[in-house]
Amino acid sequence: MQKNINILLIDDEVDFLEITQKRLVRRGYQVVTALSCGDGMQALENSPVDVVVLDVMLPDMDGIQCLREIKKKFPEAAVILLTGHASMHAGLESLQCGASDYCLKPVELEELVDRIEIVYRDRICRD
Amino acid sequence: MKKAHGGGTKHLSGQLRDMNNKKTLRKLLTRLYARPPKTDTSVLRESFRTRYQAFRSLLTANNNALELMAEMEKTLAQGQPFGMAFVRGHSTAVSVNVYKMIQNLEVLSDGKFNGLYASFKDISRRMEEILARQPEIPEGRFVLPLSEIDKDDADQVGDKMANLGEVSKKVGLEVPDGFVITASAAQHFMNASGLQDEINRLLKTLDINDLESLYSASAQIQKLISLAPVPNGLADDIDKHYRDLSSGKTPDPLISMRSSAMEEDRSNVSFAGQYRTQLNISEEFILQTYKDIVASKYQSQAIVYRNQRGFRHQDVIMCVGCLTMVDADVSGVMFSRSPRNPESHWVEINAACGLASQVVVGSIKTDFYKIARESTFEIIEQEAGIGTPILPEERLRELTAIAVRLEEHFGLPQDIEWSIDKSGRVIILQSRPLAAPAEVVADIQTSAADEQEALLCGGLSASLGVASGPVFTVRSNVDLLEFPVGAVLVVEHPLPEWASLLNRAVAVISETGHVATHLAIVAREFGIPAIFSLTGSLSKLKNGETVTVDATGRCLYSGRKDEILRRAAPPANLMADSPIYLLLQEIMALVVPLNLTDPGSPYFKSKSCSTLHDVTRFCHEKAVTEMFSFGERAQFDARSAKQLGGDIPFQWWIIDLDDGFREGFDIHEKYVHMQDIVSTPMQAIWAGMTAKPWRGPPPVSMKGFGSILFRSTMNPSIDPAVGSSMNARNYFLISKNFCNLNMRLGYHFTLVEAYLGSHLTENYISFQFKGGAADRSRRFVRVYLLKDILEHFGFRVEVKHDALTARIEKKEKERLIEGLKVLGYLLIHTRQIDMVMGEKVMVEHYRQTIMQDLKGIVGPDAKAN
Repeated sequence: MQKNINILLIDDEVDFLEITQKRLVRRGYQVVTALSCGDGMQALENSPVDVVVLDVMLPDMDGIQCLREIKKKFPEAAVILLTGHASMHAGLESLQCGASDYCLKPVELEELVDRIEIVYRDRICRD
Repeated sequence: MKKAHGGGTKHLSGQLRDMNNKKTLRKLLTRLYARPPKTDTSVLRESFRTRYQAFRSLLTANNNALELMAEMEKTLAQGQPFGMAFVRGHSTAVSVNVYKMIQNLEVLSDGKFNGLYASFKDISRRMEEILARQPEIPEGRFVLPLSEIDKDDADQVGDKMANLGEVSKKVGLEVPDGFVITASAAQHFMNASGLQDEINRLLKTLDINDLESLYSASAQIQKLISLAPVPNGLADDIDKHYRDLSSGKTPDPLISMRSSAMEEDRSNVSFAGQYRTQLNISEEFILQTYKDIVASKYQSQAIVYRNQRGFRHQDVIMCVGCLTMVDADVSGVMFSRSPRNPESHWVEINAACGLASQVVVGSIKTDFYKIARESTFEIIEQEAGIGTPILPEERLRELTAIAVRLEEHFGLPQDIEWSIDKSGRVIILQSRPLAAPAEVVADIQTSAADEQEALLCGGLSASLGVASGPVFTVRSNVDLLEFPVGAVLVVEHPLPEWASLLNRAVAVISETGHVATHLAIVAREFGIPAIFSLTGSLSKLKNGETVTVDATGRCLYSGRKDEILRRAAPPANLMADSPIYLLLQEIMALVVPLNLTDPGSPYFKSKSCSTLHDVTRFCHEKAVTEMFSFGERAQFDARSAKQLGGDIPFQWWIIDLDDGFREGFDIHEKYVHMQDIVSTPMQAIWAGMTAKPWRGPPPVSMKGFGSILFRSTMNPSIDPAVGSSMNARNYFLISKNFCNLNMRLGYHFTLVEAYLGSHLTENYISFQFKGGAADRSRRFVRVYLLKDILEHFGFRVEVKHDALTARIEKKEKERLIEGLKVLGYLLIHTRQIDMVMGEKVMVEHYRQTIMQDLKGIVGPDAKAN
């Protein structure tokens, strides 16, 4: 398993952020968190990030808009979008905007780890 | 401007045309005479790596898409409840994966198949339209008098009130005076409240299997609606119609307010007791009661009921009937046929003094009567609830005649609520189609022997069937939250609100109540056995003790009685033909059917893709071809096909995609040997292929051989000697973790593909098998033999005609290696057995030999799931 992956979690659900961060760190990943897209962009400026896990519903802007911002400034970051409400339209739009994956909540930690590792590996290959 | 370019100078477009012609000519010449330019190896390797990575991502997405399609098909076939969240979630996930395939094919093929985007867009747009569909409510008046209504008005007043209007207007029976607040009114009220988005959000986050989440969301939504103001225009309309009622026989009458939802009261779905009915409402409470009834659409039992029966919440629009209260002497419920057996020849009547509502809620003891439907209306059975029967023979005949008449008018057995007022008139309060029971059995009496062993016997079979589980007594709403899945629900009275537990309970026992209660109706629909009026059950049954309920024989036994449980009927498919079921079917018509089957057909084009499955098929085929031809096209000799060397049967060609050969292998060698190959899946297949020596073709009966000869002469393409192009060879495309084997041994076409990595999400085996030389029936026998064997080893198998597909997904590497060994063995050892598949003895012989061999190869307990 790849361990030296820098992950940024952006979600306004504090519980989800804390639990997921704790579990990912326990598995050896470097994890930073942000409660809004603005904070997330700041985190991207400040530290290296390989994979962004981004919730679709954020207080300051919707996830797809945030994805666009991230891809514009940090095109190399692989982004996985997470959503509680499945929407075909949003799913397809996020892939068109450069998301590496789009997955539905609730997501098991094992599955999330798998997806993070896969998009990371693919990102490395495409570099 | 034009002049500046004129005077002997060629026009710009002409120059461009010339340049284009030259370019085209150069291209043509290059293609005809020149070899493709040599490219620097490192650039090629890089290009190859990008393609291989896209190829791998495409395979993962393909795998996910196929798995999601299989889940959708399984869900539809099993009839287990599913909601819009399932439909929306699966539609999204499958389309996202298919889109990823198209994106990756674009990388692999340098955009050669970009026409796929248009096909995909068309399919996904149609899926989105189906998902976004909203119920159509014709614009109409907010309030309609009951006297103007008949059953054609169901889309404005709901089925319950439309039927009641019909009873009065068309059948000519007495009904209470009243009016209905319509679907247009409900829409107007909800739109004005601005609450729908918040309600949808709460509904989407609620987990139907978590009782706390269910009750909390239900309470929050109902509170929101109850607190919203009724728009002025609507309030005025309601007031005006109440004034009209008031000017009739009784000034300022008390009214009953009854839910009359759209989609309610259909023959196979009752919605019995799911929504609120309020009695004795005076003028000042009408508007608040109206809101409470609209809110009762979100009562917990109604949310569960819709989920179990496949209804979308947004399709249920709540209309409300406002009827003057009947000053009832006697009331009751009657069924024009037995609710447990719609073919019966008698009418069943339950009656009690006072209001009908007490009868349907099951809170009082009632008289029970069974009366022949024939013209004499003979009383077959009567049993008084308390003291002597309250209905004289004359009345019973009158009621029976009404029940028969209503059934004749509506064309279906009816469930009728009625009252007899102080002046002796029979007034109909409701007539709806009798809900069909999940199980139809003639009433069975318990045998004396059974009764001796039983813990308790007696009561009424409210819903037939048998089940077993631990007892759980519910006395209050607090107990509801603790109710475990799979328990036997024990209650004092069969109140309608206990229906919210019927997706968790396996049986219901009630100390009181009868077959006409709403809870009994819903239990019958859900196929949950129920015994009501089982005196002593509350005191005798202790929480946690396991009991077996035989509702057909009306007995309760201590512990689990398997001999009784063997009589259990298969679970009812409650979803079939429900709105959500039909919606999923519609979606699946755009997802699942596979039309592009033959890559050699001229119709195998991106624009021929009309389903998502077609798109996956097209992408997969083209991706494999692109990977296959990459080496040759780029003159990348080192990477193109090598022949497998050594003393081995048949010719095999190997193409290394990435890291399938051992380090240090000389890539200029013409042959590669098994010891040079480090591809785990290929090694596993090969191990299976070579584990047992091939015993040679089976001894063929003349009949079987004749059939093959005949087919060979009719169709030269199945002759193994015909066709020596690469397409007709057996080749492995490999990397360390991946293998794609295309095999055309003799008359069969076989494809095995596997990825065995460290991420479970990506791991899979896919196997396709088609063809054979013998006639169809022999090929079918072989395909089904293969199916049995593969299922034994944990494959998910589908058979269509003589083609078989088998898959295993998301399992550990070790399990998949076993699966590949099984396939490797089968590829070699079942090749020609279709010739002997006409003889049953031979089929059995081969089955046993194969199973014995395989257990030797992968271990006796091996199962890949």
